[in-house]
Amino acid sequence: MRIQLRHVSKTFPPRQRALADINLEISKGELVFICGASGAGKSTLLKLLFRELDPSEGEILIDGHDVTRLRSRGVTRLRRKIGLVFQEFRFLPALNVLDNVALAAQVLGASKKQSRVKAHQLLKELGLKDRYDAKPFMLSGGEQQRVAIARALINEPALLIADEPTGNIDDDLADDIMQLFVKIRDRGATVVIATHQRALIQRYGARVIKLERGFITDASSNNVSMPEYIW
Amino acid sequence: MKLSFIGLVFRQVRSSLRHLCWSHMLTSLTMALTLFVFGAFMMLQANLEQLLMAWGDQIHITAYLARALEPTELEGLLKRVEILPEVERVRYTSQAQAWNDFQSALGAQSGLLEGLPHDVLPASIEITIKRGQRDSSTLEQVAQRVRGEKAIASVEYPQQWVERLGLTVLAVAWGKWIVGGVFFLATFFIVGSTVQLALYARRGEIEIMQLVGASETLIQAPFVLEGMLQGMVGGALALAALWGGYTLLREQIEGFAGALWSVGYVRFLDLEGAVFLVATGWILGAIGSLVSLRRIVKTWRSSVVAV
Repeated sequence: MRIQLRHVSKTFPPRQRALADINLEISKGELVFICGASGAGKSTLLKLLFRELDPSEGEILIDGHDVTRLRSRGVTRLRRKIGLVFQEFRFLPALNVLDNVALAAQVLGASKKQSRVKAHQLLKELGLKDRYDAKPFMLSGGEQQRVAIARALINEPALLIADEPTGNIDDDLADDIMQLFVKIRDRGATVVIATHQRALIQRYGARVIKLERGFITDASSNNVSMPEYIW
Repeated sequence: MKLSFIGLVFRQVRSSLRHLCWSHMLTSLTMALTLFVFGAFMMLQANLEQLLMAWGDQIHITAYLARALEPTELEGLLKRVEILPEVERVRYTSQAQAWNDFQSALGAQSGLLEGLPHDVLPASIEITIKRGQRDSSTLEQVAQRVRGEKAIASVEYPQQWVERLGLTVLAVAWGKWIVGGVFFLATFFIVGSTVQLALYARRGEIEIMQLVGASETLIQAPFVLEGMLQGMVGGALALAALWGGYTLLREQIEGFAGALWSVGYVRFLDLEGAVFLVATGWILGAIGSLVSLRRIVKTWRSSVVAV
């Protein structure tokens, strides 16, 4: 998916500016890191992409279509092509790990069996093969993070949006997860990751979009020599 | 809807019933309380209609004969009255029968009649009008036609009583729709609010479904099914509570009603009434869920998106 943001601003009431005049283009099949300090606007930017928020100004084009104009059904169709990893995970508490992951495939029409086989496979890849039956609240932060990633990947999305996907896990596992994201990118998907983990960005050398107090300070490099306070 | 979606919807309902058992029971109980009041009103209404019908059954037109008639003449007269479209039945009372009836009515004071000739009272025919046509204009029409018979001396019917009963029947019929409508609306809003509260508690669930790309139908279907179930259980509980209350208090109510209006018995809801009560819960549960869900989703969407 190709993403274009044109003069996008977002202000929360009463006058809290989260993003200001963002102009950005992400090509199809690109892996991009969005980085910045807490409150820089990373999560807001991601939420605009899958229409959890609407911009106060500007337009957001995904594959040439302005997503800000989409109606309810259009938003649903858009979200079916996107895999989401939220910072706060968002699981259905009544379902176990396997069913939480499988549900994302079932809402798109996969049968219970198909979706469970796929969920099984993904959870195994992510080192959670002993946790299928556990309820989300029984998992550690890192485990929940991996379940969220499995759910985002189950439909092989054309766009993967991840908000701090490796925030709660150790370096080895973070590497495995990044390898998975790279694999997804190599299959042609666009991957947008918000992170403040400098080491991760350095290792993968993808384009970095730096945000500072709602403004893009650099959107074209993979240079990570940024002032320390951003991190 | 695809078969896999139907399966998913039922699995979600089953999971919700298992995990949110207490919340569902609380919602059903609140619905049951509201439906109990509605059901009690239905029972009151049914008994009031029964009472009015019983009162209506006591309304007759009495036509007094001018003279004693030959059997063939009498038979002809009775036939001519009986075939009138408004007439339900006709009963002949001879002079001797009228005398006996009068004596029995006087009871211990029947001695007052001693010395009077037994044919002092005229023979008469008692005309009962069909149910639903016992209004003052129909009675007057029939009375006019009977007055036209040569053998009839005079015709009487309780005109004032008929007019009052007519007004009461009209008031009860209007009351049924107005009060019933108000009760129905109140039930609808209470059920709707109950469902809405239950849904607010599950806001996160709906948001997650929206974010993973579930269609509106897929999001709403389990909640509507749950609403139907809650409504049906609520209706059944209300019906059971009404039956319990009726069985326990039947004698006291009948005694009270008997003293006030000479009603021999108080009846419970008939089969249609009982089915209607449960169906009302079922339908209100479904509509309440659907309306609340749409309102909630719309509010969230506008609160999230329009800032």
